Amino acid sequence: MPRQEAKAFRDFLLEVGSISDFTARFFREGFKPRYEWSELIRQCYVIGYKTLPLVGVTAFIMGLVLTVQSRPTLEEFGAESYLPSMVALSMIREIGPVITALICAGKIGSSIGAELGSMKVTEQIDAMEVSGTNPFKYLVVTRVTACTLMLPVLVVIADCISLYAAYIGVNFKDVVSLDLFFSKVFDSLVFGDVLPAMIKTYFFGFAIGIIGCYKGYNSTKGTEGVGIAANSAVVVSSLVVFILDLIAVQIADILGLT
Amino acid sequence: MEHLEIHPPPKPVHPSAEVMVRTRDLYKSFGDNHVLQGFNLDLFKGENLVVLGKSGSGKSVLIKCLVGLLSPDKGLVEVFGQEIPKLNQDDLDHIRVKIGFLFQSSALYDSMTVRENLEFPLRRHWISKTRDEVDELVIEALDNVGLKHAVDLMPSELSGGMRKRIGLARTLILKPDIILYDEPTTGLDPITGREISRLIVDIQHKYNTSSIIITHDMGCARIVANRIMVLVNGICYAVGSFEELKNSDDPNIKPFFD
Ligand SMILES: Nc1ncnc2c1ncn2[C@@H]1O[C@H](COP(=O)(O)OP(=O)(O)OP(=O)(O)O)[C@@H](O)[C@H]1O
Ligand SMILES: [Mg+2]
Repeated sequence: MPRQEAKAFRDFLLEVGSISDFTARFFREGFKPRYEWSELIRQCYVIGYKTLPLVGVTAFIMGLVLTVQSRPTLEEFGAESYLPSMVALSMIREIGPVITALICAGKIGSSIGAELGSMKVTEQIDAMEVSGTNPFKYLVVTRVTACTLMLPVLVVIADCISLYAAYIGVNFKDVVSLDLFFSKVFDSLVFGDVLPAMIKTYFFGFAIGIIGCYKGYNSTKGTEGVGIAANSAVVVSSLVVFILDLIAVQIADILGLT
Repeated sequence: MEHLEIHPPPKPVHPSAEVMVRTRDLYKSFGDNHVLQGFNLDLFKGENLVVLGKSGSGKSVLIKCLVGLLSPDKGLVEVFGQEIPKLNQDDLDHIRVKIGFLFQSSALYDSMTVRENLEFPLRRHWISKTRDEVDELVIEALDNVGLKHAVDLMPSELSGGMRKRIGLARTLILKPDIILYDEPTTGLDPITGREISRLIVDIQHKYNTSSIIITHDMGCARIVANRIMVLVNGICYAVGSFEELKNSDDPNIKPFFD
C-alpha cells in the first residue's frame, strides 16, 4: 500500500476523531451554567443579519429561474397548472435548505474560521483562558448554537422569498392571482414534505457552526494558519452539508415520509 | 539615576516570606526542542522576580506553564500551594482570577473597544459589581497607565506601545495577588518604559503583589528587581540581586549587563 495514501487516510481518521471530540465537548460545556446569553443573542443577530441579503437574493433568483425553466417541459405534457406545486415542492424540500446551507457555509463558516483562527494565533483565546473565562463557552458554544438556531429561520425566509419569485415567474406568461397561486402551493404540500426539510436544516446549521469553530479554534502556524482555517472550514462544511442531506433523504425514506 | 531616588525602591522581601509560586524539576519539550530541562523557581510573597534569558530560551513557555496554558512534561508546578496540572477546570479558573498575565503580544480582543477589553476579566464578578463600580475600576486602571482618553477606541486604533499599556491595565484590573509580566517594556520608548517600570514597583507596594517579570531591558530590571534569575539552557543558571549579577564574570551572565 502506498505510504502517502496510508498517511492521508490516517490523518483523515484523526481529524474525524478530533472533530468528534470537539463536538462532545460542545455538549459537555454547552449545558453547564453559566450561559452566555448576551453573546448568544449578539451572534444570532450577526449571523442572521450578515447572511440575510445574500440568502434573499439567491432564493429570489432560484425561485424565478426554476419556474421559468420548468414551464416548457410541463407545457409539453399540458401540465402547466402543476407549475406552482412543482416549484414549491422542490424549493421547500431540497433547494431552499441546501442552497441556504451552502451560502451559510461560505459566508458564516469562513468568517467564524477566520475570526477564531486569528484570535487563536494572536493569543486572544489564551488571554480569555487566563482571565478565568471559559473561551470555549464564550466563543464556540455561542456561535454553534446561534448557527443552529438561525439557519432554519434563514431557510424559512428563503422559502417564502423563492415562492414569491415563483409567483412572479408564473405571471410572466399566465395571469394567476396570488391567492390562487398559494392555494395551489399549499394543496400540494403535506406535513411530510415540510417537517424533514426543517429538521435537517438544524443539522446543517450545527455542522457549519461546529466545523467553522473547530477549524478556527485549532489553527496554528500564524497568519497563514488563519487563511487555511477559513478555507478548510468552507470546504469541509459544504461537503458535510451534502453528506447530511444524503443521510436525511435516506432516513425520510425509511420512515415513509417521502 | 536621580529619578530613582525620588521613587521607592523595590520592597525588600522578608526572609521567612510565604512561597507563592514554586516549580521543581520542570521539563517541557516541543518535539526535539527541549526548552525547559529541570527548571526550579521560588517566588516569595511580595517580591519582584526578574527572569533574564536570551530570545527563545523558554521564558514565555515557563510562565505559560505557571498558569496552565501549557502543561509541563514532567515536574512540579505549584501556585498558592496548589498543583496547577492536577486541578480541574473550575478550580483552575478560581486560581486564574488571582493571577494577572501580561502577554508579550498584548493579546487585546480585537473585536472589542478598550473599555470592553478591560471589563472582560470582570465578567466573573459581574453580579457583585454595579455599573458605576465597573466604570470606576476601568477608569482607575486606565489612569494607572496614562490612557484615560483611549477608553472608547478600538485596539486597531492604538499604537504598539499603547496596546502594551492597555494590556497592562487589563492585567491589573482584578488587582491580582500574583502578576506575570511578559516583557512589559519591550517596544516602548525609554521614558514610557521607565514609567511602566515604576508602575510595577508602585503596584507591588500598593497591593503587596508578587510578580515575575520577564525582560531584556536592564533599565527595567534595575528599577523593579528584588531578585534576578538567569535562564540558560532550560535551567535556572544563577540567582542574585542586580548588583551581584552585574559584578559577575560568568560568560553566560556578563553579556546581559554589557
Ligand atoms: N506552542 C509551541 N509549539 C512549538 N514550539 C514552541 C511553542 N511555544 C514555544 N515554542 C518554542 O519554545 C522555545 C522557547 O520559546 P519562548 O516563547 O518561551 O521564548 P522566549 O524566551 O519567550 O523568547 P522571546 O524573548 O523572544 O520572547 C522556542 O524555541 C520556540 O520555538
Ligand atoms: Mg517570549
